[in-house]
Amino acid sequence: MTSFFRSLILLVPFLLLTACATLPRPGIDYQPGAAVETFSSAVSVSVQTSDRGMSGSGFMVYRRPDRLHLVILSPFGTTLMEAFALGDRITLVYPSRSTAYSGPVSELPVNGGLQGWSMMRWVMDVDLPGSGMLNGTVERKDSRGNPEKVTFENGLVTAKVSAAGDQVYYSGYTVVNGVPLASVIDMRTARNEQIRLVLSEPEVNTPLDDAALLPGLAGLTVLPLSAIQGM
Amino acid sequence: MLLSATVCHARSVPPLEGLEALRKGFGGISDFTAEISQEKRLSLMKRTMVMTGTVRFRKPDLFYMELNPPFSSRMLLRDSVIEQAGPGGGERNRIMLPPEQGLKRWIAKLADPVTSLPEGVGMHADLSGGLYTLTITPAGKGQVKALTISFLEDGTIRRLVISEQNGDRSVMTFKKLRRNVGLVDKDFRLE
Repeated sequence: MTSFFRSLILLVPFLLLTACATLPRPGIDYQPGAAVETFSSAVSVSVQTSDRGMSGSGFMVYRRPDRLHLVILSPFGTTLMEAFALGDRITLVYPSRSTAYSGPVSELPVNGGLQGWSMMRWVMDVDLPGSGMLNGTVERKDSRGNPEKVTFENGLVTAKVSAAGDQVYYSGYTVVNGVPLASVIDMRTARNEQIRLVLSEPEVNTPLDDAALLPGLAGLTVLPLSAIQGM
Repeated sequence: MLLSATVCHARSVPPLEGLEALRKGFGGISDFTAEISQEKRLSLMKRTMVMTGTVRFRKPDLFYMELNPPFSSRMLLRDSVIEQAGPGGGERNRIMLPPEQGLKRWIAKLADPVTSLPEGVGMHADLSGGLYTLTITPAGKGQVKALTISFLEDGTIRRLVISEQNGDRSVMTFKKLRRNVGLVDKDFRLE
């Protein structure tokens, strides 16, 4: 579970990076110079691993360059879990336990999720819209020198496959305030773990209070990330 | 004059009376279905999430909830076991609640008349035009600050509000509630 949320947090900036195009492309009207400064959206997430699956709905907000607040709701609408990210630091809040876990992302228990971490870095490492090819697939080396195959449509990345077999698909591009946004991300690791993230009713560049990005830890027991067990 | 004649002012009633009204009304229900609208207001964000769907309940321990797109999901609570299925039904999530939180246990509590208020909770009850509103406030600093349920004398639930300590608020409104429709086991399957 921790690797999932870590993946999600790392994924969101990528979603926003894809929205930084400044050139008009067929089928999608970009607003030249448009860039995401803030972002908020309802979100539906699902995760399927070899031995378990989970799904849920929630909400997330983002502020450039590296601040994120994600809320996962229970079926009855209460807050199940909140994640706040600021740079390399993350705070996970579990209201039902009156407990929060906080620390550098590197201290999150890995529990076999190291491969997922590697994949997320790769998922984030993509061309900005307009800087790659318009349509087609290119085989090349990624920024770390590893082989990858990248597919572009209308100047936007729609798929990547790594030499190790990791795959990611970006779809449901929509334009919000003139900014292109991938609203559906499907990831499949080489170990066949699948993560799907679907955005709903996204808002881009609307005012966002600082308080929306800061964890409220009053009254909570705050523990290091290494204390997380049985997520 | 018409307006003043139709406006009903809420009057406080003894909490015990409100609780007993809920127990009695619910006692006459063996199952129900309803359409729901669930609003989640996040205190720190200036947005409200709205989800719609349907629910089914059958005594003593079955509760099923299905949410419509874009938040498609299905959830089955069987006593103390929650099973969730996401869009397409491929993913399953299974959550075991502590036995003391099981649905059967709570329904069993409704079998006997309420003669005293539960310990450790605050309670307030209003009655307005046949609609009871019962507000329960657990002691301590747990996640739930207050639980408010609005219902008719016959046990028909109108609204459920969960207020959390962090200021978030979830409102579930029940519409087209049908009581005692004869729900069977297949109505409570995630397949």
